[in-house]
Amino acid sequence: MSALIIGVPSKGRLQENAHAFFKRAGISLVQPRGGRDYRGTVPEIEDAEVVYLSAAEIAGNLSQGTIHFGVTGEDLVRETMPDADARVLMIDGLGFGFANVVVAVPQAWIDVRSMQDLDDVATAFHAKRGKRMRVATKYVNLTRSFFAQHGIADYRIVESAGATEGAPATGTAELIVDITTTGSTLAANGLKVVDDGVILRSQANLVASLGANWGQRERASARALLDRIAAERVARTTREVRSRFKTADAELVAEAKGRFRAIAPLGGPTSSGMLTLLCPPETVHELAIFLRQRGAETVMVAAPEYIFERENPLYEALISKIG
Amino acid sequence: MSFDAADTRARNGRAEALVELYERAAYVRVQPAILQPADAFLELSGEELRRRLFLTTDADGREMCLRPDLTIPTCRLHIESSAPVPASYCYLGRVFRDRGGGAGEYLQAGIESLGREDLEATDAETLALALDSAKHFGVEKPMIRMGDVGLFSAFVAALNLSPAWRRRLLKDFNRTGTLAADLSSLKQISSAPSPHAGMLAALEGSDLASARAFVADLLSIAGISNVGGRTVGEIAERFLEQASLGSAGGLGSGNCTALERYLSVEGDPDEALAELRALAKDSNLDLSAGLDRLEQRIGFMAAGGVDLSIVRFSTAFGRALDYYTGMVFELYDPRGQVKWPLIAGGRYDRLMTLLGGKNAIPAVGFAAWIEQLEQAGAA
Repeated sequence: MSALIIGVPSKGRLQENAHAFFKRAGISLVQPRGGRDYRGTVPEIEDAEVVYLSAAEIAGNLSQGTIHFGVTGEDLVRETMPDADARVLMIDGLGFGFANVVVAVPQAWIDVRSMQDLDDVATAFHAKRGKRMRVATKYVNLTRSFFAQHGIADYRIVESAGATEGAPATGTAELIVDITTTGSTLAANGLKVVDDGVILRSQANLVASLGANWGQRERASARALLDRIAAERVARTTREVRSRFKTADAELVAEAKGRFRAIAPLGGPTSSGMLTLLCPPETVHELAIFLRQRGAETVMVAAPEYIFERENPLYEALISKIG
Repeated sequence: MSFDAADTRARNGRAEALVELYERAAYVRVQPAILQPADAFLELSGEELRRRLFLTTDADGREMCLRPDLTIPTCRLHIESSAPVPASYCYLGRVFRDRGGGAGEYLQAGIESLGREDLEATDAETLALALDSAKHFGVEKPMIRMGDVGLFSAFVAALNLSPAWRRRLLKDFNRTGTLAADLSSLKQISSAPSPHAGMLAALEGSDLASARAFVADLLSIAGISNVGGRTVGEIAERFLEQASLGSAGGLGSGNCTALERYLSVEGDPDEALAELRALAKDSNLDLSAGLDRLEQRIGFMAAGGVDLSIVRFSTAFGRALDYYTGMVFELYDPRGQVKWPLIAGGRYDRLMTLLGGKNAIPAVGFAAWIEQLEQAGAA
C-alpha cells in the first residue's frame, strides 16, 4: 500500500502536459494496464502512487485531504475552496493550462466598460423589471466573491454546466462568468470582457493538500518528489557557461556576478584558468561577449538537466505549512 | 441539537406557549412546507443568501431549498389561498441556514400582520409583541436597534441627485446596512472623465427617441445584431442619464455633508426625531411626511407601553434584505452574551407584489430565534 497519492488529470491535453512535466523532472508515471488505467505507479519515488481523476475531482480530493498532491487548474482550486489558502498550498505553476476567468457581457452593451458600469446597470435592471440580472457560470463561488468585492448585489447566478457563452444569446442569462484563453469563443458569441472584469489568471498548478495525512513515509516521498521537481525547475532557469583562459581571475568572477547575475558554484577559476559559471538564460549572451573581451578563445554554453541544491524551497514551503 | 429529550421537550414547550400567546392575540397559526422552491428566496434575498441555503433539486430539475425563514413561505401561503385581508398569521418551526459550522437548523417562531392600513399603530403593536416574546423567555429589557428604511428612501429622493446615484445609495444601504462605512469610498468615485465623454456631450439635451436611434446606429455600424437582455432603449436611456450629469458626475459636497449628517443620527427615538427635523430644515429638504410617520410611530410605541429608553434609533441601521420598506428592528441580549439578534423584523410592504401577489399589501412582522432567546434568558 502506497503512502503518497498524487492526483493527475485522467485525459486530454492536461494529462499529456502533466506527464511531460513529471518526465522533465525525471519522474515517470506508469499506467500498468495502459491508458485506461485509473491507477498508476511512480517507479522513481518510493511509496508513491498516482490516481487519475478529472481536474474538478482533483480539486475536491485536495480539499478533502484524500490525495496529497494534485495537478489541477487554479480556477478549480479557488472555486472548490473559498478558503483555499487554508486547505492547500500551490507549490508551483506548471506553465500550461493558461486561462482567465472573466466577466463577459453582450457586445451591444456599449455603455458597459467597467464593473462599476455593470453595478449600475444591474441595479437599474432590478429596479425597472423587479427581476435580478442573471449571470450564467460554473464558477459560483468565484463570481459571488468577485461581485461582492465590487459591491454588486442585484444579480442572480444561473448554474451552467457547459456552453456557458451561449446563455445570453439563448436568453437564459444576461451575462456570464467563464474561462477564456484567447477570447475568440466569447467574441463569436457576441460577448466582450469587462475592462476590470478579470477574476483570476489561472494555469495548471502542482497543489499540495494541507489536510492530507502527512506521516513520516508521506513526508519522505514528498521530499524525494519535490527534490526532483525543484532540481528541474532550477535547471530550467539556468545556463551553464564554461571557458578556460589565463587571465580569468577572482576579480573577473566578481564582475560577472555583479553584471550578469552569474554564480560560480564550483569556485574558481582554477590555476589554469578553468571557469564554470551559472547564469539566467537572459544574460547568457552578454556574459559570453564579456568573457571573450577578457581573453577567452571559446565559451561553451549548455542547458543543465538538473541542479540539486542543499536547500529545497518547495519542500520547505510545504513543511512550514503542515508543521 | 440536543440528545437530551427532556431539554428538547422543555424548549418545545416554551416555544409552544409562545405561539399560544400569538394565537390568543388572534394570529392564525400556519404550517408552511419545509421544502420550498428556492427561486423566491434567491430572487428576493440575492446571492449572498445562496451559500447559507441548503439546496437540492427535484425530479423536474427545479431548485428547491430547506426554508431559511418562514416569512416568505407564510406570505406565499396567503397568496395561494387568496385569503382576504387584513390577515394575521403566526408560526413555529425549524428553519435551515448554513452559518459555517453549528447545527444548521434553528427553531423560529414569529408573526406576520398583512393588510392593516393603520401602518404606524401596527408597527408599534408588532414591536410590543416582540417585546412580550422576549419577556416570555425571561429577557425583560432587551437592547432594541431600530431604523427606518423608508425614511432613507425619502431622504435620497429629496436630495438633488442623478438617478444613478440614487440607485447606488439605495442599493448600498439596503444590501450592506452600513452605508456610513461605504460613504468615504463612494466619495472617491470619481469625476474622472467618462471614456464616452465626446459622445455624451453630443447626446446632451437630446430626447430619448433620437438617443435610441443613435445607439441603434452605433450597434449596426459595429455589426452587432443581438442586444442580449437589455433593450436599445435602456442603453440609450443610461447614456442620456450620464450625458445630463455633464461634468458634475460626483456626489457633490453638499449632498455628501447632508448624507453624512443623516447617517450619523443615532440615539433615543425622540432625540433622533428632533435631530432629523433640524437636518431637514438646515438642508432645506422636505421630509415632513416621513418624519410625521416616525413621530406617530414613536407615539404609539410609548402609548403601547414600550420603554423608549431601551430603543436605540439609528438612521444608518438597515437589514440586508431589500424587501423591507419602513420600520426595521432587532432585539439583542442586553448583556451581550448572545451575538446574534434574538428577534428581528420590520415592515415589508413590497414583498407581496414581489412574490407575485396581484395587490400591494402593507405587511409587518418579526421572527424570534428560540435557541438564542433561551440562551439570553438563561444567562
